[in-house]
Amino acid sequence: MDRQQEFVLRTVEERDIRFIRLWFTDVLGILKSVAVAPAELESAFAEGIGFDGSAIEGLTRVYEADMLAKPDPSTFQVLPWRGERHGTARMFCDIQTPDGEPSLADSRYVLKRALSRASDKGFTFYTHPEVEFYLFENPADPDKPLVPVDTAGYFDHVSRGTAHDFRRAAITMLESMGISVEFSHHEAGPGQNEIDLRYADALTTADNIMTFRTVVKEVALEQGVYASFMPKPMADHPGSGMHTHLSLFEGDRNAFHEPGAPMSLSVTGRRFIAGLLHHAAEITAITNQYVNSYKRLWGGAEAPSYISWGHNNRSALVRVPMYKPGKGNSSRVEYRAVDSATNPYLAFAVMLAAGLKGIEEGYELPDGAEDDVWELTDAERRALGIESLPSSLDQAIAIMEKSELVAETLGEHVFDFVLRNKRQEWDGYRAQVTPYELKRYLSVL
Amino acid sequence: MRLTRGGFTDSSRALTLLADADLVALLGPLEESSPLRESLLDGLSRTASPDDALLALTRLAATVTATGPALAQTVRTGLANEGLLRTRLLAVLGASSALADHLARHPGDLAALEEPTAVGADSRAVRAELLAAVGADPQASPVATVTGSQGVDALRRAYRRRLLRIAAADLTSEEPLSLLPAVAAALADLAAAALEGALALARSELPDHGEGVRLAVIGMGKCGGRELNYVSDVDVIFVAEPAEGVDESTALTAGARLATVLSRVCSAASTEPALWPVDAALRPEGKNGPLVRTVASHVAYYERWAKTWEFQALLKARTVAGDLEVGREYCDALSPMVWTAVERENFVEDSQAMRRRVEDHVPAAEADRQLKLGVGGLRDVEFTVQLLQLVHGRADESIRSPNTLSAIAALSAGGYVGREHAARMAVCYRLLRALEHRIQLHRMRRTHLMPTADADLRRLARSVGMRSGGAEELGERWRSVRREVRHLHEELFYRPLLPATAQLSREEASLAPEAARARLAAIGYRDPSGAVRHIAALTEGVSRRAAIQRQLLPVLLGWFAEGSDPDAGLLAFRRLSDELGTTHWYLKLLRDSGSAAHHLACVLSTSKYAADALARSPESVAWLADDAELAPRDRARLAAEADAVLTRQDDATGAATLLRALRRREMARTAVAEVLGRRSVTSAAHALTAAAEIVLVGALRIAEYEARHGPEGLLTRTSIIAMGRLGGRELGYGSDADVLFVHDPLPGQDEARAQAQAVGIAARVRALLGAVGPEPTLEVDADLRPEGRNGPLARTLASYREYYQRWSSPWESQALLRARPVAGDEELGQRFVDLVAPRRYPVGGADPGTVREVRRLKARMESERLPRGVDPTRHLKLGRGGVSDVEWTVQLLQLRHGHEIPALRTPSTLEALEAAEDAGLVEPSDAETLREAWVLASRLRDAVVLWTGRTGGAAADVLPHDRRALSGLARLLGHPPGRGAALEEDYLRTARRARAVVDHVFYD
Repeated sequence: MDRQQEFVLRTVEERDIRFIRLWFTDVLGILKSVAVAPAELESAFAEGIGFDGSAIEGLTRVYEADMLAKPDPSTFQVLPWRGERHGTARMFCDIQTPDGEPSLADSRYVLKRALSRASDKGFTFYTHPEVEFYLFENPADPDKPLVPVDTAGYFDHVSRGTAHDFRRAAITMLESMGISVEFSHHEAGPGQNEIDLRYADALTTADNIMTFRTVVKEVALEQGVYASFMPKPMADHPGSGMHTHLSLFEGDRNAFHEPGAPMSLSVTGRRFIAGLLHHAAEITAITNQYVNSYKRLWGGAEAPSYISWGHNNRSALVRVPMYKPGKGNSSRVEYRAVDSATNPYLAFAVMLAAGLKGIEEGYELPDGAEDDVWELTDAERRALGIESLPSSLDQAIAIMEKSELVAETLGEHVFDFVLRNKRQEWDGYRAQVTPYELKRYLSVL
Repeated sequence: MRLTRGGFTDSSRALTLLADADLVALLGPLEESSPLRESLLDGLSRTASPDDALLALTRLAATVTATGPALAQTVRTGLANEGLLRTRLLAVLGASSALADHLARHPGDLAALEEPTAVGADSRAVRAELLAAVGADPQASPVATVTGSQGVDALRRAYRRRLLRIAAADLTSEEPLSLLPAVAAALADLAAAALEGALALARSELPDHGEGVRLAVIGMGKCGGRELNYVSDVDVIFVAEPAEGVDESTALTAGARLATVLSRVCSAASTEPALWPVDAALRPEGKNGPLVRTVASHVAYYERWAKTWEFQALLKARTVAGDLEVGREYCDALSPMVWTAVERENFVEDSQAMRRRVEDHVPAAEADRQLKLGVGGLRDVEFTVQLLQLVHGRADESIRSPNTLSAIAALSAGGYVGREHAARMAVCYRLLRALEHRIQLHRMRRTHLMPTADADLRRLARSVGMRSGGAEELGERWRSVRREVRHLHEELFYRPLLPATAQLSREEASLAPEAARARLAAIGYRDPSGAVRHIAALTEGVSRRAAIQRQLLPVLLGWFAEGSDPDAGLLAFRRLSDELGTTHWYLKLLRDSGSAAHHLACVLSTSKYAADALARSPESVAWLADDAELAPRDRARLAAEADAVLTRQDDATGAATLLRALRRREMARTAVAEVLGRRSVTSAAHALTAAAEIVLVGALRIAEYEARHGPEGLLTRTSIIAMGRLGGRELGYGSDADVLFVHDPLPGQDEARAQAQAVGIAARVRALLGAVGPEPTLEVDADLRPEGRNGPLARTLASYREYYQRWSSPWESQALLRARPVAGDEELGQRFVDLVAPRRYPVGGADPGTVREVRRLKARMESERLPRGVDPTRHLKLGRGGVSDVEWTVQLLQLRHGHEIPALRTPSTLEALEAAEDAGLVEPSDAETLREAWVLASRLRDAVVLWTGRTGGAAADVLPHDRRALSGLARLLGHPPGRGAALEEDYLRTARRARAVVDHVFYD
């Protein structure tokens, strides 16, 4: 029993916690939870808690159903919305096979493995996500038009607005769970909000995003509204992305930073970007995993449909934010394709792998885009060598299927599962006759 | 004569040196048999190298004289009288040219030789002495007042002055091996003091004298264990905490600055030679990690990222300089982790891997000269001790000492290892260390290699007291120590696992059940209680068998642990021992042939199939001692043996049983050879094919013999045509024999009666080989014949011709690609081959209709033939990118191009693939992908049989999910332990790539 485990046991006792939820994430990024009583905690640390994995998406097959969830004591947190007395706490878990080996189907393990490859090369990976989501009036019924909670726009201050209160409550709750919030504001769409999590190492951030989604849903429930991370809930309004700032550290030094270089961006940084661009199309089925994701990616406005990069270019896929002098450790690049519905573990793993590949292979960074890429004509883009991201889930799967990089990063098991699952989703979608089609064709055909 | 007896090798030069002007100037003339000369020669004769000592003395004489009359007087008196100065000075001069140089540079330090011995001094006094050299107050956080390069030189001189005293005491000791621990401790204390001095110098370079940071220097490795060499890297870790009111990042920056300067003070070039490199590479993240971390940051790293070896390294951690409070916090926080490291996942694999690293990382050229690395070297001793500490230290605090010799003593006192073995191990360790010390002393170089020059070896031998035997005695002693260390590892580690009743002498330890189980578990036994029972059963009693097994078992237990299933290995050994234990040759084999015993342990713990095969025919254990027996038997030899069997027998069933036994024996031979890595997958397949062919030939001969002696006599000639994997010589352990029977009535015989007889013969062959009996069956499968199961079992050549002309479908053409006559009438076989040539290699290539049909068939097969519930990615035969994918791809190429490319006309998949590649039908990279996938899948299919011991069943062709099984398969494929998951990834990736190739080569 190590110190952290002891700490958890002690806290559980001192704060009279009645249930501990063991959290883990399935391959699609949906949070799963098993509750255990404090009495079981010690054996959970020692041996893990057995559960039937066959019911969990992508985790396992029917005939090898037994899995173990082994809690990571460093992720112990009391859940604030469950009240102070007789509270409930949670820990994230690693999934293991009955032999105690990490399950190859555990997306948290996929990220851990990617991080340990980076650490073999001397890098630690930090991320900082800007999570967008919509607030709708309850009930949010798929059969009726959605009603956003307000009609404000980007950075608008809404007096006594629901969103304002909402953000305040959510942030208070996040902070009480040890998740620091960098920034929050009203986004461009009506009822759309953004909350930025403070940068942290990628595994912690991914755990935080899973917590964040839960917290936002819980607060919404308390306040009688409905929160959604769907990538593009309304055709006429911007989608919800999760722009993610990425940086690599070598020890305590930011590896992207080099004073005096253009944009203070080191060679490592340039190659990392080159890697992201080179493999962008391959990883899109992971960063944008749903049919609906592509409605956002190709919905115009600021969505990054084209594979390009730029300095403060809000239409580029990869953006190098303005460097603040004297803040060498804040050098970073922003990857803008990811949406709020991604599985953060897998998304971080593939982004990291793409960037590292660029560093390993010494990819050359193409020239940055200075114009708004959306404004260019197809011919201009062709002339500039700017390619586009996949335009549909179908295309994204076909490209990913050929990617050695993604296969290697996810591991063969997860890779195969994602491909099969996403093909099924596409087939299901393709079989639909949509209201749009009826409206458009029924009267004339 | 006097000189030679006194140990000089070059007496004429010695004579010249004795008359050297400088020496005479110092000591006065040294006349023949004058008391001074005699006294001097007497002193010199006791040194490691009188020649070197005398030469150094003459050099020293000049500087001493030049320094001043007082010093000259001291030396003169010292040398004239038998006393500390004379003995020590000459001993140092004779053993170390580096220290001789130091004295020549600083003759003033000669006085230090008369000071009391430095060995056993209080470490605080040493620290104060070195701090005083740089003008620092030895209270907490000393800051140097003698700074810059002056300070560096002062520190180094003070260090050397004390080193001189340690070396002098060491070299003049009557019992250098007894003194060794004290010398090593003194050297470690001196290094710690030097680090403290260097830190004081580093503080003096910072504007605030580093007040904002509390820096602790943690000694690791030999420094931490207080068992340092004369010259080696000093391993350290820096831990920093902010002083009160200072923020962490400022403190860490200052700490890093201190650490950097500290290293520079110790190892950068200056007027005085450098001390040693300060190596901080054991820190978290190694060379890439920050030089300095806080305690919390260390803890976080070890909790999350650290690997098993890093915990083993921590076992030696000890605060040696800087802030003791911070050092204590660090040790308190980390030491519990060290003692639970044994509970970590993969501890067993990691520690085995570490052990292999100890043995493997020696350049071949140095292997025979290495004192430190390599088998039987110092590292080997340390590893054994540390592993035992990690295993038992969890429960017993008394054995946690970071010092190797103390740890050995504690392990022995605690009853974890045999007393005598522990004592012998300690002696070996001391001798190796003493040799290392002497070698390093000579030039103060960091080396762990035995010298090669005669003079060096002679000096070395004399310096450890081997005056008469010299270099030869030394070499012999050293080799025997290395052998003994290796042997002692087994004795220390495994012997105490034997029950008390099985002890060879009273000096031995026998572990308490709890400790025995912990040790067995730590080396990979999954059922330690079961293992304890087996060990007890194998060693109890007074029989010769038990006696020999008591000797052998410790070694065998280690070998089983190296296999993938130690428990199964031990159990199989027990079964074998019950079966054979009284046989004379078996015990003799085990006792006398180390390699046979090793092979046996390896086979038993790696492959259930091979273990069963050995148990089935125990006499085959004898193969293990003889490599020739493991080589495949060639076909002619097998044929001759089968011939002899058949000639002797007149009972058909009896003869068939003997044939089947012969095949079983060859399968066992192949299995054992494959497990031991003596066979490639193709050569194993060839051997298995040959064994099957021999029994087919034999069975046909029996059936024909019976027909000939029946009422009608023999009416027809028969030939057996191999198909499928048998035709391609690609048989696995569990494969059926796919065949066609073709016959040709003898001239003048009635067709109908001949046909009836041929069908009877074919049925008889199948029955002889397929009937249930004591020996394994060979399923003879004729389902590929025209009309399948509805058609007659045998047909005449004419009937085949007619059928193929009228009815044949694309799949039959494809199946015929593999046709190859293997038994019966050769001329008939050849005629069959000629007959089917236009079917399998159609002129102009297979027509588009056939190609389309083959593709459709394959597509349908993919969805239908796969057993229900099996993941298609894991089915080695029919799954995605499996054997069948590759074979169909190759076969389609053969159908289309066989007519124009003769090399394609082969039943072998790999040969045909190569021909297709040569002819440019497949891109080389695609061909490589297909080949890799086919070979890997084929090897895995074999490995599944070898691992599980089962040749059939639903699981036989499926890559298992079970980690242990995967890891076992990986071992059989020649990977190191713990690579199961990697093998799985490897197969899935290879197969996925192969499938991509199949998609465009086969389907497009």
